[in-house]
Amino acid sequence: MTGTLSFGGVLRSEWIKLRSLRSTLWCYLIIVLLTVGLGLLIAGSLPDPASGAKAATHDVQQSTWVTVATLGIAFAQLVSAVLGALVITGEYGTGMIRSTFAAVPKRLPAIVAKALVFGVTSFIVALVGLVITALVSAPLLPAKGITPDFGDGKVWLALVGGAGYIALIGLIIRSSAGGIAAALGLVLVIPLILQILSRVTRADWPANVAAFLPSNAGGKLYEYQGAVAESLAPSRPGAAASAAASAANTITLDSWQALLVLLGWVVAAMVIGAILVKRRDA
Amino acid sequence: MIEAVGLTKRYGSKTAVDGISFVVKPGMVTGFLGPNGAGKSTTMRLIVGLDRATSGSVTVNGSRYAELKAPLREVGVLLDAKAVHTGRTAENHLLALAATHGIRRKRVDEVIALTGLESVARRRVGGFSLGMGQRLGIAAALLGDPSILILDEPVNGLDPEGVIWVRELTRHLAGEGRTIFLSSHLMTEMAQTADHIIVLGRGKVIADAPVATIEAMATGTAVHVRTPDAERFAAVLTKAGGTVTHPEPESLEVTGLAAPQIGELAARERVVLHELSPVGGSLEDAYLALTQDEVEYHAGGTASA
Repeated sequence: MTGTLSFGGVLRSEWIKLRSLRSTLWCYLIIVLLTVGLGLLIAGSLPDPASGAKAATHDVQQSTWVTVATLGIAFAQLVSAVLGALVITGEYGTGMIRSTFAAVPKRLPAIVAKALVFGVTSFIVALVGLVITALVSAPLLPAKGITPDFGDGKVWLALVGGAGYIALIGLIIRSSAGGIAAALGLVLVIPLILQILSRVTRADWPANVAAFLPSNAGGKLYEYQGAVAESLAPSRPGAAASAAASAANTITLDSWQALLVLLGWVVAAMVIGAILVKRRDA
Repeated sequence: MIEAVGLTKRYGSKTAVDGISFVVKPGMVTGFLGPNGAGKSTTMRLIVGLDRATSGSVTVNGSRYAELKAPLREVGVLLDAKAVHTGRTAENHLLALAATHGIRRKRVDEVIALTGLESVARRRVGGFSLGMGQRLGIAAALLGDPSILILDEPVNGLDPEGVIWVRELTRHLAGEGRTIFLSSHLMTEMAQTADHIIVLGRGKVIADAPVATIEAMATGTAVHVRTPDAERFAAVLTKAGGTVTHPEPESLEVTGLAAPQIGELAARERVVLHELSPVGGSLEDAYLALTQDEVEYHAGGTASA
């Protein structure tokens, strides 16, 4: 019963909180099932190679494999966003936040610990889901003219990027205390609006703005980094915008720039959230 | 020891706590009494920094709550029974709070046993009754074995057995030299538990004294007399030094004279009495008298003493 308030203790506390709620277990289970299920579905529905056709290049084959494994991210990000929202609204809505801040009166350590625990756990769960998807979809691919190369580091890097994106999206939503609806709009609605604007106005700016949105920047994280002109698999949401972008004279982020942009969103959301949390009466 | 100096909290244009100063001393139970809406809960939230004071300050053991190295081990607080995530079990709730301060599992089991929650500890809090929620809140407050205990309406929702348990627990903890600060809007409960009482009305301290003193404030309250000879007896009582009001025929409210004196006067003057009853003299009346003008929301209609 000895001991004082410490950041390590607050981290442990947040970990106990996260794993002791059913909603957490359900959301993580759904993320894994969605990723694996969609991956298998797409792998099975790829067109059979036309007889006598020339085999696709190594990079195109690998890229297709990555697309198959990461297609579920489009849906998993929604679940991650919902969980991110639940993690924070669950505390405020039930009054738990008062117990939390009575135990950690400086507040900021609790907020940072919550973000770390949630981010790391989501990353690990998403990575497990993506790796399982890559592994179980691999045996289905040779029949479609794709020979997965397990030794290709760029494949695993894309999967790590995908897991990072799922975790960061949840964090953006989680951190925007009070602005959850706005944050969901930013992640889910604005990209669509910009895509429509870009079609209607034929101007460059909607695509340029869209490139910096969390969802589009995130898409760059789980792209296979190789010489790929086309993929054999159907394109994922957001890819259309970046394909259009690369064709026109517009901004295209590379994966490191995209990571920085995404981290920028997370930091901005967390700083605003932290200022509000520190100021407000609980 | 809790010390408030000029503590003020405004929500917009509404002043919930209006420049109050008080000291809560160790080794005794201090009651914090006032009608609903008087600012008791706000004051308690200000003490542990959940609300930010508009002006003034409050310290616990000489420091601001947020500056304490181990807040839970110095101050245990029950703010309301609902400061718990309903989807989590009681045990996990306590384990999560304990983890912040490196408090061991053994202590979690101890407070669960102490508050009689063993049978429901692994159940989710959403299904708890008000009384069980209250016990869980008290368990959380006791986790760090704190030297200061702040309990906001601790007996709210408890069964009679639970009420006695809280009373004995707080008296026992005060006996160990701890600072116990508990709020209630029920005077009778306070009278049986507290050594010292701070009365709050509309955000202001209107009395801050030992229980005996607060009780003494109630002496000299009215005696109710019913007699068919009211007119004549009123004159007699006035002549004897009493202050008499005559609210209805055959009925007198007398202050300044005790019931035995009034009885003797009646016998001497051969006045027939139908009723002779002291009104008040209890802590309840002292409280009502003190807060009468300070109640923010009067009950519409028949609120009589």
